[in-house]
Amino acid sequence: MEGKIIVVTSGKGGVGKTTATASIGAALALEGNRVAVIDMDIGLRNLDVVLGLENRIVFNIVDVVNKRCNLAQALIRDRRIENLFLVPASQSDNKDVLTAIGVQRVAKMLKSEFDYILMDSPAGIEKGFENSVVAADEAIVICTPDVSSIRDADRVIGLLYSRSITPKLIVNRIVPEMVARGDMLSHEDVIDVLSIDLLGLVPMDNQVVVSTNTGMPLVMHNQSLAGQAFRRIAKRLNGEVDIPIKVPTARTGVWDKISQKLGLNR
Amino acid sequence: MLHGLMRKFSGKQSPKETAKKRLQFALVYDKLEINDTTLTSLQNDIVEVISKYFEIDTKALQLEVQRDQDLSALVFNTPILCVKKNRGFKPQESKK
Repeated sequence: MEGKIIVVTSGKGGVGKTTATASIGAALALEGNRVAVIDMDIGLRNLDVVLGLENRIVFNIVDVVNKRCNLAQALIRDRRIENLFLVPASQSDNKDVLTAIGVQRVAKMLKSEFDYILMDSPAGIEKGFENSVVAADEAIVICTPDVSSIRDADRVIGLLYSRSITPKLIVNRIVPEMVARGDMLSHEDVIDVLSIDLLGLVPMDNQVVVSTNTGMPLVMHNQSLAGQAFRRIAKRLNGEVDIPIKVPTARTGVWDKISQKLGLNR
Repeated sequence: MLHGLMRKFSGKQSPKETAKKRLQFALVYDKLEINDTTLTSLQNDIVEVISKYFEIDTKALQLEVQRDQDLSALVFNTPILCVKKNRGFKPQESKK
């Protein structure tokens, strides 16, 4: 059976695309799938450091697309998680070195070898975005609960619709205490504004910084709330659709409970 | 809790409500490539037309954005106080 190409995108930078790609990819591999994560952020690669594989790069996606090496040579196998592979971006080239036709050719090869191929798209909606989307079967849009990120997500969702892709949404970095106080948009508000299907909710978690610092995939930290959220997202992607979407909750004290009863939070 | 209590009595919007309103309108501005001035003058024109036929409370008028999968709608909401008797027809002199 052919694999599925899923693009992870957001419009705005810095909302967690790369962390999400690494985490969902690792979690899908832990579920027993053959997974390739592709860094499409040419010139600004980072998926390699987030996964802790930066010291093993020889070839990259630009080399494969431009036939300077074959696919197998560019695939870096993760030694901690079985069946997880990375194709890094090149660091020196500019974004114009990839062509849509070239990406589609490589995508076909990837689909015959893997169950899931995750494309980590660059920020923005220019050529780099186009190249990440061109071969995608499905799309995941990431946003955080703030005005600028949601506005950019709306733009990207529109662009995906115009390519007949119906994306699903992950709301990242939710701070439940702020949502409870009415200081932050809730995930219901975000869905209401964007009118899109939800794939998962990820709470703000300091462990993400630690995990990026050490290069140890987030989903391998059992204590990490964000890691747990990404594992559930991967399960849902993998066909376990009845896994409920868990809403991040605040550690509630007596006062919070009383004020919730009185309806002072809305 | 104190925040919530103070907000409730001061009648102020929470940051979340403000954010949602701003976002909804920003998305409309982006899509239609219009600005707030255009929207306000549209609102004024609509009020003018409606007031020809109905007595309305212009202060209670609300402009909202409703969004669906593939279209967004501007919704003007206004309480109608009463119907005007002359229905906006001005007495005209018959033409000769």
